[in-house]
Amino acid sequence: MVEKGKIDSTQAILLNITMIFATALLSVPAITATHARQDAWLSSLLATLLALPVAWLTAKLASLFPGKILIEYPEAILGRWAGKILGLLYLLWFIQICSIMVREFGDFMVNAFIPETPIVVVNIIAIAIAAYIITQGLEVMARVNQVFLPLILFSIVLIFVLATPEMDLRRLLPVWESGAMHIFKGALAPLAWYGEISTFAMIVPFLVRPGEARRIALISVVAVGLIFAFLVVGSLAVFGPGIAAMAYPVLNVTRVINIANVIERMDPFIVAVWITGGYIKIAFFYYVIVLGSARWLKLCDFRPLVLPVGVILAALSIMAGDNSLEIFHFIGDVWPFYALFTFEFAIPLGLLVIALFTGRGKDKP
Amino acid sequence: MVVLLVLVFLGIIWLEVPGLVRKKMWRELAAFAVFLLIGMALSIPQALGIELPNPNRPIEVLFKPLAEWMQK
Repeated sequence: MVEKGKIDSTQAILLNITMIFATALLSVPAITATHARQDAWLSSLLATLLALPVAWLTAKLASLFPGKILIEYPEAILGRWAGKILGLLYLLWFIQICSIMVREFGDFMVNAFIPETPIVVVNIIAIAIAAYIITQGLEVMARVNQVFLPLILFSIVLIFVLATPEMDLRRLLPVWESGAMHIFKGALAPLAWYGEISTFAMIVPFLVRPGEARRIALISVVAVGLIFAFLVVGSLAVFGPGIAAMAYPVLNVTRVINIANVIERMDPFIVAVWITGGYIKIAFFYYVIVLGSARWLKLCDFRPLVLPVGVILAALSIMAGDNSLEIFHFIGDVWPFYALFTFEFAIPLGLLVIALFTGRGKDKP
Repeated sequence: MVVLLVLVFLGIIWLEVPGLVRKKMWRELAAFAVFLLIGMALSIPQALGIELPNPNRPIEVLFKPLAEWMQK
């Protein structure tokens, strides 16, 4: 057994929320508003509804193959060779999206706070901290997250409470102006984020009660969807559809807070809390990569792989694009289709159909 | 820059390899070596200023029609 730690259902839900939410907080409200303008909150609710089948599918596959992780399902369903190749593709996909996350977070730090620092420094620090977290194992990561996620959620509630003097709910009117098509387009980016719930299948065997996987996945998606809708409504009420032109709308909300000229310039405090979420998200995907690689190669320990994979992630995070605009284009226009038409939805769906037709896997969960 | 990077790689090797050799974990050692070589191949050219192909570019090309539909 590569991983000996166990996490309980609450920890799993909190970990799933961080795993989706920590980078959705940055630029996804802007991407959604680009398409749906002041109807962006409708898009985010629509995305939550559309993400429920993804969560259900993830948990269904996990219940058919108890004790196995996501990259081992293809081997059980398609046979040894095809399965191994699909498992490898999954690993490459995780490496790619993890490097993009590192880059996204590095861009955020450099663009918003430390413009003189080379981004490679920020990325290496993030990867080094994430590497330390994962050598401690899944259980420690889940516990760290249990401490920090409530703080992150509290920071968000605090921001919007303090920003109420700037808010005007009439900025959300008129409703449905952009039309169904644009609301749907706006829903695609958050949907791709919520679809990251499929990564949850990598840790289902390490739950204390794997039987609760379906409930955990559905609750996680609904919770993230509601938090995200809250963010979008709050940013829209402060700025209106103009958030589409911003890189980080929620950060800008913290910057307009001004209560009697005493409570202002809150952003460094708030971001200090958000960074913990970003690092845990990076650590989670990094962990999935090393754990998956170790299981794919049938190793007894994943720790020797941590540092080499970190080097790969750092190098790829720099190669991912020449500037942050390229990254925005990728995550806004390409990533939703890339994610949903491949590893988040289409491939798991295909695997489930084949598994049900051939009768592989357990019949009763 | 390159010297620094090589020192980092030596540091990683120094941290991991003796333990693996002592415990005779040859499989793990082989995997470690492969991953580290890939890491070197991706990072040393960048330190030398050589531009490497962007791994996201083929994906962008593949999904270009849909990305254009998104921007409409």
